[in-house]
Amino acid sequence: MGRYVIRRALINIPVIWLIATLVFFATNVLPGDFVARRIAAQNPTGNTQEQIEAQIAAVKRDLGIDKPVAERYLDYMWKTVRGDLGESYRTRESAVAGFRRGLPYTLQLSLMTFAIALSTSIPIGIISAIRQDSWVDYVLRMFAILAVAAPGFWVATVLLLFVVRWQLWNIDLVNQPLLWEDPVNSLKLFILPAVAGGIASGAGIMRLLRSQMLEVLRQDYIRTAWSKGLRERSIIVRHAMKNAMIPVLTVIGLTIATLLSGNVVFEFLFNIPGVGSRILDAITQRDVPVVQAFVLIIATFVVFVNLGVDLLYGLLDPRIRFS
Amino acid sequence: MTQQQAAIEATGLPYRTTSDRPLAVRIGIHTSNFFRTKPLGALGVVLILFCISVALLSPVIQRYDPEQVFSRPNPLYDPELAAQALRDPTVRLLHPPEKFIQGGIIDAQEPSSTHWLGTDKAGRDLYARIVWGARLSLLVGIGAALIAVSSGLILGTISAYFGGLVDLIIQRFTDALLAFPGLILLLLIVQVVDNPNKYWITLALGILGISQVIRIVRSAVLSTRQEQYVLAAQVVGNSDARIMMRHILPNIMAPTIVIFTISIGAYILAEASLAFIGFGDPTAISWGKMVNEGRQLLPAKPLMSLFAGGAITLTVLGFNLAGDALRDVLDPRLRGRGGRAGF
Repeated sequence: MGRYVIRRALINIPVIWLIATLVFFATNVLPGDFVARRIAAQNPTGNTQEQIEAQIAAVKRDLGIDKPVAERYLDYMWKTVRGDLGESYRTRESAVAGFRRGLPYTLQLSLMTFAIALSTSIPIGIISAIRQDSWVDYVLRMFAILAVAAPGFWVATVLLLFVVRWQLWNIDLVNQPLLWEDPVNSLKLFILPAVAGGIASGAGIMRLLRSQMLEVLRQDYIRTAWSKGLRERSIIVRHAMKNAMIPVLTVIGLTIATLLSGNVVFEFLFNIPGVGSRILDAITQRDVPVVQAFVLIIATFVVFVNLGVDLLYGLLDPRIRFS
Repeated sequence: MTQQQAAIEATGLPYRTTSDRPLAVRIGIHTSNFFRTKPLGALGVVLILFCISVALLSPVIQRYDPEQVFSRPNPLYDPELAAQALRDPTVRLLHPPEKFIQGGIIDAQEPSSTHWLGTDKAGRDLYARIVWGARLSLLVGIGAALIAVSSGLILGTISAYFGGLVDLIIQRFTDALLAFPGLILLLLIVQVVDNPNKYWITLALGILGISQVIRIVRSAVLSTRQEQYVLAAQVVGNSDARIMMRHILPNIMAPTIVIFTISIGAYILAEASLAFIGFGDPTAISWGKMVNEGRQLLPAKPLMSLFAGGAITLTVLGFNLAGDALRDVLDPRLRGRGGRAGF
């Protein structure tokens, strides 16, 4: 087992290197670099073309982006290996610090979404499976199919419409308080994107759990459990759930992997200053170090969560261990 | 006359086996079976056909040019006062200026018999724009799925068939692409050109989806490669290209068709999200962009957001339902793999 874990972990090193390389070149081929944009925006009217170009060259030298691409790439890789992810062109703040400031917002939104997704999908998935083909099952499945198809931003917009139209509560879109700063106002803001996102990912989990449950419930050991007179509750929870949950856990793991990247669309819609809207901002402004650092942090997290899910899968299902 | 045909003649019946029936009859039988056993899948097919016909017929059923700006007359305009003002300019000082403006007002109009769904903020007919929006969604969805599936099919087959170093390199690339946050990678690819148009967005989405297809195709090829008939074909000296084309490809068509259908819905959603946050094709009529524009009219005039979002939902629903049913019919092993390619 130990050797298997180490081998799986080592495979991830080239993957992370590839991600760093991809994001470096992706951000370097973006047209219209940061400096040119910034100086063009601030250009005092009197300056001639040569003066502007001289200014651009000076700032580029200052930021260290006047060197050829190959040299910058090596430079970037060397810094990354030493754990220095660079600093923002705009604020000269380290990119990691920027990430850390956005993280609480994104984590709060992701965790709330996650909680709503799990707390609705698991009971609904089980009810739908054990009452297969009843009207309850049909209604729940129809709802789930619709929830997967509806775009999250639209569901959130509709929820927002309900709240505003009937003045259910006031939403603080300016201050965006966090849960531990101002719990009531924070919940009022975050509950809408959390419900919209939670419904969508919950619907996916529900459909998977239902089909897994149906498969497990037809197996021999479940029939045995029935015939020895166990109560339904104990058959479902103690016997069927254990096996039905294994593939579901993979999907839940993949959801955990998206915790850090946040939801760009919801953060945009609700003006939440999380990781997603920061990276959106950085892409628009061509703040290359911020984009590179954020993507690298998020992708590394995803890679290791995936590794964790794979290992957990092996632990839970001995049949596929080491394969 | 072959022996088989002679046997059929001898029975005196028009058709013996299913495969002897004319093509149209066979298609009819399969279709009616599909509709009977998979009502939800049939609903999906109907939704898709509806959306495709709306897209194809949009110039016919549009009622107005989607870019035409409609104004409504100023309800406050007072012709008597305006006539007075011509003679005596001081009248203007005594009344609000709106009363003297004869020209029309351009704003979001409520639904009426002239504009079935009302107009958007710029005074353009909403019904016409929703009808035209179907074109972009279908173009991007189907185009991206074609790009992703065709290149994923080639790369996945090569990766699994040759194994070794080729497999290792392709797999690490797939891992790296899958670890990228989806929408952010999409934004980076889209932003590479100065003014991303709809074709570039389609290409970007297709590139994004390749890794997902590679995974599924690879595992399908890996199991097919071990089959006796593939080994036999190798033994008698067929070339690699011939084996892949003649023996492996036909056997992985089922999962390929399923992933193609299901991923179209995911690409339509992704395009809509991109347009919603303002990174879509600025000149195209996009449902996602309309939801965002309509958001500015909330809460007084919610119809624009509601209709545009409803159109996205129904289209995606159609592809998801059809894909689910196809999967059950063609390849039950794929059950449970998502319809949301990384979003």
